[in-house]
Amino acid sequence: MNHYPDPPNPQPDGGTTALDAPPIEILNEDILKPELLAQNAPGLETLVKLLNQPALARVYIYICYWGPVSPPEVMDELDLSKSTAYEYVDRLVKLGFIERNESTRPQQLTAEPVILVEQHVPIIITPTVLHAFALKEIDEDVEYFVDRHGIGKLVAALRGAGLHYAGKMTQRMIANEIDVRDTEAMMIIYALVPALAVGREHDPYFDYLFPDVQDEMDLPDLEEQETTPAQPDREE
Amino acid sequence: MDRDSPLSAEKDVIVDANIFIAIGDPSNPQFSQFRRAVQEADVMLKLPQRVIGELGGRDTTRVQAALDEGWAEIIEAPDPTDGDAVAASDIARRTIADKTEKPEHEVEKTDTILAGLAIQYIRNRTTPGVIVLTDDKPAREGIQNAITVQGYTDSIQVYGLSDIIGDEPGGSLRLI
Repeated sequence: MNHYPDPPNPQPDGGTTALDAPPIEILNEDILKPELLAQNAPGLETLVKLLNQPALARVYIYICYWGPVSPPEVMDELDLSKSTAYEYVDRLVKLGFIERNESTRPQQLTAEPVILVEQHVPIIITPTVLHAFALKEIDEDVEYFVDRHGIGKLVAALRGAGLHYAGKMTQRMIANEIDVRDTEAMMIIYALVPALAVGREHDPYFDYLFPDVQDEMDLPDLEEQETTPAQPDREE
Repeated sequence: MDRDSPLSAEKDVIVDANIFIAIGDPSNPQFSQFRRAVQEADVMLKLPQRVIGELGGRDTTRVQAALDEGWAEIIEAPDPTDGDAVAASDIARRTIADKTEKPEHEVEKTDTILAGLAIQYIRNRTTPGVIVLTDDKPAREGIQNAITVQGYTDSIQVYGLSDIIGDEPGGSLRLI
């Protein structure tokens, strides 16, 4: 019995340009309650805003990992102008991504880590993924890769890079699987090291992306490596 | 920073593309460090045509800079009739498949030919040794195992980028 609706836009090779349709049974009256849909809609909208703006994602990730931090720290550590730093902070507060505590001086900013997992497509958004995307602002290799291949392949490359550093895939296997040139895969695998090295220590959802190899990656030890900014304090 | 570089003018140095990608743009400190190590050893790096593959975007610059500056040259793929070289590539393929827990057909041929090429170089040329440079760990283990099994450990060595320029990248690692 076929529970899957016919795929739209069939291609000559039998494939489809649409994402794989998930089984219809995963939706039911309870999930489809207008009240529930209304509650979740703003979360999705705001997450999409982050995924469209690497500069905003960068400020969010900095506050999430390094927080509590003050706006001047955001400005200094991310090398932003004062007006840009305050503008991004204001926007993130309005979107509900960060909390501003104004009872102290200077005010302190904190952010909860976000996670979005959609297993059927699949889509996975975690702080490590947002960090990888935010690197577009400061790393020309990441910028090149995202402009050329999009954020979906960036997530695939991030997962591939983790597997590579765990010794489970060669760089050329990853190039093959995600369908980019060998040297492009090599380039992005090196460029994503900061997202993996920091995520391993500070992303509470790191094991969602790497349930199999999270402890096996051969990455720079942030305790010994000189970094900019200095690595975040460990969670108490 | 002085350190003993394994590179020497008496040895042929065969390089995988990832070394050029790992050192970054010519403006990157690691690029300069690597170039200095190669030039001080008076070595012409040999880059097999097949391992560069198809270059196209930002990645082109790094390989092209080394070629233009004259410290790297492109060489042909290995001779498919050299039995020892073919056997070495086969061993490398099996080792990589084993390490990565993947079927052998998923191992890219390009990752295995460096093993065959190294052995072919040792046999066909007058140089007393060959060095293979690759920064891909599973591939490196595959090549190393092929060399060990075929009995060439005295004349062929396999190294990664950190063996040439050290573990500390030039300057501070930008985290975000």
